[in-house]
Amino acid sequence: MFKFFSGFRKEALILLRDISGLILVFLMPMVMVIILALVQEFGWNTLTSEPQVQVLFVDLDHDSLGVQIENGFNSSRIFKVIKSVDNVNLTQEKARQLVFEGKYQIAVIIPENVTKRIRNKIQLLVAKTMSALTMPSLDLFKDIFNKDTIEVTLYFDPAVRNSFKNAFISSLKEKNARIESKMVFNTFNNELKRQFPQFRPPDVEYSESVNFNEVYPSGKEHEIIPTSTQHNVPSWAIFAMFFIVIPLTSSIIKEREEGSLIRLLTMPVSYLNLFLAKIGVYLIVCFIQFILMVLVGIYLLPLFGIPAFDPGNQYILLSVMAITSSLAALGYGIMVGTIAKTHQQAAAFGSVSVVILAALGGLWVPTYLMPPIMKHVATFSPLNWAHAGFLDVFLRGSDFMAVSHELVKLFIFFLCTIAIAIVYRKFKPPIGS
Amino acid sequence: MSDRPIIEIRDLTKFYKGSDEPAIKSISLDIYPNEIFGLLGPNGAGKTTTISILCGLFPPTKGEVTIDGMDIRSSIDRIKHIIGVVPQDLALYPTLSALENLTFFGNMYGMRGILLKDRIHDCLKIFGLEKVAHKQINSYSGGMKRRVNLIAGLLHKPKLLFLDEPTVGIDVQSRIFILDYLNEINKLGTTIIYTSHYMEEAENLCTRVAIVDRGNIIALGKPAELLIKHPEFTNLENIFLHLTGKTLRD
Repeated sequence: MFKFFSGFRKEALILLRDISGLILVFLMPMVMVIILALVQEFGWNTLTSEPQVQVLFVDLDHDSLGVQIENGFNSSRIFKVIKSVDNVNLTQEKARQLVFEGKYQIAVIIPENVTKRIRNKIQLLVAKTMSALTMPSLDLFKDIFNKDTIEVTLYFDPAVRNSFKNAFISSLKEKNARIESKMVFNTFNNELKRQFPQFRPPDVEYSESVNFNEVYPSGKEHEIIPTSTQHNVPSWAIFAMFFIVIPLTSSIIKEREEGSLIRLLTMPVSYLNLFLAKIGVYLIVCFIQFILMVLVGIYLLPLFGIPAFDPGNQYILLSVMAITSSLAALGYGIMVGTIAKTHQQAAAFGSVSVVILAALGGLWVPTYLMPPIMKHVATFSPLNWAHAGFLDVFLRGSDFMAVSHELVKLFIFFLCTIAIAIVYRKFKPPIGS
Repeated sequence: MSDRPIIEIRDLTKFYKGSDEPAIKSISLDIYPNEIFGLLGPNGAGKTTTISILCGLFPPTKGEVTIDGMDIRSSIDRIKHIIGVVPQDLALYPTLSALENLTFFGNMYGMRGILLKDRIHDCLKIFGLEKVAHKQINSYSGGMKRRVNLIAGLLHKPKLLFLDEPTVGIDVQSRIFILDYLNEINKLGTTIIYTSHYMEEAENLCTRVAIVDRGNIIALGKPAELLIKHPEFTNLENIFLHLTGKTLRD
């Protein structure tokens, strides 16, 4: 055991004396979580006071639809309506050009007479309905149809992501549906008033009957609102943990290149013992990293106007999750460091593979949005297990049993990677083979 | 010289993966206790391969090796307790001090406490490194690093010491000091297996030498015996060149 402690002390001293490396190990993940949280929060949410997305708006209609869509944008706080550029009113062609050049991402062109055309369609519909009600035998509008197709043109910068584009179109369709239903309602009222002079339309605005009540089932006593912070902090904490692969592989390869490993392998000490000493030190690094990320989420992110991270109160389970995830990351680092022949190989493979595993793990795109084949592949990523475990703890308030599957998988992954490293080193010594 | 060899090598062969030519070909050799045995040869001759097998770094493809009566395949863990290795590379941690390096390596040999502390202190004193014991290795001169490298291999007073080019790239003073020290510990009972490119050094230091080339032992004996065997040459270097040729080696 004292050989382990001696190795642990040696590793700790080496790490502590690399001050710049140590700062990077702790600082970079903190910077990363702040930047990514800021980007994601302000990219998609409506919490900011300043609108984020500028929309070129060309209203050739100058009637209800154009005005109400413009008002809708202005009240959304996500979009800022731009009607003129360089003090020149926009035309359809100019708007198209500006989007094409990538200067603006979206342009909305409301065509001429669009409100009038919608109104005509509605009036025909209302007239048909009223006729069927008041003079059913005559069927005056039997052969009259309005097949006018009304198109609102939207220009999108090709760089705009599909998910954003779809969200924008959905929002626009929703606005249009509200405007049209209001027009139908008003037209009916007017027609009824015309035909039945005694009719007095009620002086009420139609409001939506259905409210969508968001509820997030949680095992916790208090409900946790899944803000982007609740998603971001665990995601980037796991990402940073797995990036420990870079300094860890560097330490392993440096030891090999400097010849110390050769000396150690001629000494009565097992390779496992040498690994465990490294794992011990880097496990502490990972754990501190995780705590720092959580603290950033709790105390620093709110300073940037982002909701504070709620770590819940299951600190023991959280620690077990963090330690097990760290072990999986360290096992992976030990394996890569043992197999890689050079620093370049280790750095390139280590970093790229972690990014791939993170992408598969649902750290960027949730796994439920992935195609079935990718969903299946994702189940093999240790970052996916870690992510699922942390989300269970942070968002669902799950207990130990609920995350035991993830914990077991992560620990088995750790054991497998260590076993691979030991077997590899046994059959492939650092010199000769 | 004792009757029973401390190292017995029989028919030792090593093929590296992907190579048709063996790095060492059926070498058989006995090394006796208290010898300073020189393994000499040009680059790629098989010296480091032989030493690596003897240290347990990798197994031979064929052949038998026993060290102090223990088979290298079955008893390597026990063998590692009685051998010391001084690699050609400065196998030290540059950001640790000499004291920290030596404490760590001593611990790996199972030494600890006051015994280790005293041993390190003695060694640092002998090697003139006492005053810089707390300084990081990366601030040392080449000669100082070599001395720490040597101490790390003999802290536990090994019965058998393997030295791979221990004096490469250092000043004359440090070289002479190291060679004198090796003579001294040899007199106290340490058997030394030593590789070098410095023929003069080997001639003066070694009790016996083996000249290896292309995986074969091409000459074996005391330096004086080899000189008698090759009367046309006045020193070991000329014999070496005669036997191995003047062609450049990779």
